[in-house]
Amino acid sequence: MLLGQIGGIIVKLAFLSALAAAFFYYRGHKENSSRWVSFARGGYHLATLSLMTSSAILLYLILTHQFQYTYIWNYSSTDLPISLLLSTFYAGQEGSFTLWALYTSIIGVFLMQYASKNDYEPEVMSVYSLILGFLLLMLVVKNPFAFIWDSFPNDLIQTGPVPAGISNFVILDAAKNLWARYPVEGKGLNPLLQNYWMVIHPQILFIGFSSMAVPYAHAVAGLMKRDYNSWIRVATPWSVFGSMVLGTGIILGGYWAYETLGWGGFWGWDPVENSSLVPWLFCVASIHTTLTQRKSGAFVKTNFVLSLLTFITVLYSTFLTRSGVLGDTSVHSFVDPGNWVYWLLLGCIALFSAIGFGLLFSRMKEMPKVPVEHSFISREFALFLGAFALSFMALFVAVGTSSPIITSLLKGKASAVEIMYYVQTNLPLGIGITFLSGLGQLLWWRHSKTGSLLKSMLWPVLLGLGTTALILLMGWEEIEILLFAFCSAFSLFANLQVGYGIYRGNPKFVGGSIAHIGIAIMCLGFITSERYDDKATISLERNKPVEALGYTIMYTGYRALDRDRFAFDIEVVKEGIRRTVAPSMHFSEQSTLRHPDLINFINKDFYVSPVSVEQAGGPREESMTMLKDAEAQVAGFNVRFVDFDFNAFERGAMLEGKNFVINAHLQILEGKKKQPLTLKMMNTESGPEFTAATYVAADQRSYEFTLVRIIPDREDKSQSKVEFSVKYPEDPAAVKKSETLVVEASIKPMINLVWVGTVTLIVGFALTIIRRAEEAKLQAEKWRKE
Amino acid sequence: MKVKVVVGLAVVVVGIILGAVNFIESNVEYMDFAAAERTSKKAQVKGEWVREQEIAFDAEHVKFSFYMKDDNNRIVKVVLDGAKPNNFELAESVVAKGRFVGEEFHATDVLTKCPSKYEGDAEAVKKTL
Repeated sequence: MLLGQIGGIIVKLAFLSALAAAFFYYRGHKENSSRWVSFARGGYHLATLSLMTSSAILLYLILTHQFQYTYIWNYSSTDLPISLLLSTFYAGQEGSFTLWALYTSIIGVFLMQYASKNDYEPEVMSVYSLILGFLLLMLVVKNPFAFIWDSFPNDLIQTGPVPAGISNFVILDAAKNLWARYPVEGKGLNPLLQNYWMVIHPQILFIGFSSMAVPYAHAVAGLMKRDYNSWIRVATPWSVFGSMVLGTGIILGGYWAYETLGWGGFWGWDPVENSSLVPWLFCVASIHTTLTQRKSGAFVKTNFVLSLLTFITVLYSTFLTRSGVLGDTSVHSFVDPGNWVYWLLLGCIALFSAIGFGLLFSRMKEMPKVPVEHSFISREFALFLGAFALSFMALFVAVGTSSPIITSLLKGKASAVEIMYYVQTNLPLGIGITFLSGLGQLLWWRHSKTGSLLKSMLWPVLLGLGTTALILLMGWEEIEILLFAFCSAFSLFANLQVGYGIYRGNPKFVGGSIAHIGIAIMCLGFITSERYDDKATISLERNKPVEALGYTIMYTGYRALDRDRFAFDIEVVKEGIRRTVAPSMHFSEQSTLRHPDLINFINKDFYVSPVSVEQAGGPREESMTMLKDAEAQVAGFNVRFVDFDFNAFERGAMLEGKNFVINAHLQILEGKKKQPLTLKMMNTESGPEFTAATYVAADQRSYEFTLVRIIPDREDKSQSKVEFSVKYPEDPAAVKKSETLVVEASIKPMINLVWVGTVTLIVGFALTIIRRAEEAKLQAEKWRKE
Repeated sequence: MKVKVVVGLAVVVVGIILGAVNFIESNVEYMDFAAAERTSKKAQVKGEWVREQEIAFDAEHVKFSFYMKDDNNRIVKVVLDGAKPNNFELAESVVAKGRFVGEEFHATDVLTKCPSKYEGDAEAVKKTL
């Protein structure tokens, strides 16, 4: 048996044991029996172990270039460096589902321990195992270990065994013609993905996706246990962890697009980006509403809904980007994975929505009703509005991304929304969210006194106005953008003020403020780098300096990085300081890929993206086809085709199979002058050879004529044609254009704020995880004492 | 309490209207060249690149032009604001987004639709044997 077949069987084993674990855990919950739970643990561990084994097998097959497997043949090749070769593991659908399932299973091992300490194991793990089971079902359906002869059954038939050795397989086509043992080379990794981002970005994203299943599992577990309050404390560290990892993944993806793919910015509202943003927004919203429930017990249902949505939108996003529904409407060409995956993903969405919302609906009546005790000027209300705005944002993004589905249902034709849609809908919400993220920190729970609120708002408002004024120095902008800038700056200073106070009290509690500071800094970076950028498209003739964007820019030449890739060296000079950027282009057989390059200054990026390179222009050449006695004008004279010359002697040579010559006679008519011109074609064994004839015109410039081919007409000899080319002399009057590089250059002010904000946000999340994990631990200890 | 509900509902309704209006406005409709010529709105036209006719790139103004045949076999010159799109030669069909200016279709975006990786792959297997 082949290794891959073993891998396929192990995947099925993993699937069955995950389902068994889900079932045993459920029995454990129903009967409150630890025997079922220990069975279930065994099942879960078996699933994890099997999945790890089959992943190891897949990795081994990739590293040893076993191209008889369709997946490996499709995405990898022998010329990839080891890091990229490893990354082909998740370059396609089968592999990325494997990675997702793998991370889900590993996170589950930790979750099991955690849930057991919190007395939540049977419930949380039954739901979580079911989720793992469905991810594994995807692998059972789309087997990463499929053989090429199984993938293309009409064209390839597998027979064997032939000689001894590892590869006892021979591939035949339908006509039973032997092709070969198996492919010796794969199709290779998409050149767009061939960089180090491919190594880290998908991993982080999938860890984020996997951890989004945890809040869902806790919400359902809470419903199963009829515990409508304390599940929150158990789930929160995981929600924050998921938001942190997925958030990092999203930003890294943006940086990838900016730095390598050359989208010009770090966010393009592309379906791939949007689809990870939506669950992130719901998760962040849920983190905020659970704060209120901790304090006052309100928002019980909201918290269930948001936690359920976090995972369901992960599934929906996967459906959008993996099932081929977006098809024609995106820059990404989504591979159509076939009906199975489409229906399976839809089924998953339906099933997990039904479990979550069905249970929620049936428990609705018994949930505690908490009377609203807070006023309009309270932290609760600010949190509510903020979470509301975040959810609306998620909804708008989800609807926009789903536009092809919505329009094809309504109008029968799929079309995507323009980027404008996302900006128009999200900008007002962004203004609200940043304002509330500052205001909420200044408010007290229950009720704040207007006087003290206004007093605490004084400095943040003043500093916010100051920052907006600084931004205005760079130029005028739409009022909404200015408002967004003000609110972001207000949030920044409000959180600094509050955060400092908290830090002096209890440094452990400062995570929230730091995360808000990070978001505010990022938003300011978005505004300055996207709205105050300066762009120019510049044609750079080699070695000719051009003034643009306040710099002296000169293209100095290209160098080959390897067979297909070329770097274009550009000198950028300002105030006597010389720097170089080297954007590159990848000319593959199929397409041209353009990679930007940038200079990162403290206060801006100078960003250069190549557009095209125009070769130096040579002399013009023109081809003409003429009938006998026809005349055509070339420059200042006329050309007439007189006749072919194929005499008896040459005919004899042709019949004997020797070399023979055919001449085409032209006549040049310039003024009163007539001059014959003979174009010679000699037919040899290795093909025809042409001899050019030159005509020197009255202005002393020479034109070169070459026979291209003879188009005989056997029926009517007078209809025979000749095709020849004319090479014009170089035009001394025309400016000789040398090699020209066209680039798009831009200056992105303060873009570093985006990256500084990201790091700050991650630190804030990390501190919050520590705080909430300790809190969950305390709760668990309290329960144990009781 | 009543005030809160009314205010809340009003916010939701305004939000939905804002979203819907933007959704409709920014949704660029698919049509053929004839319909695109009649409308003043931005349009999307799907078609094929006419390989026989001239393609050109104007480096000075960064405009790429080619001829495109829509589903009704009408051929129109498309002028794209930018360089030649990725995978242009490979594309089995192209989608141009933009509007008519005189006889030409001025596109802000040209998407290329490439043949699916999984089609006709037996041939590709043969090549790598």
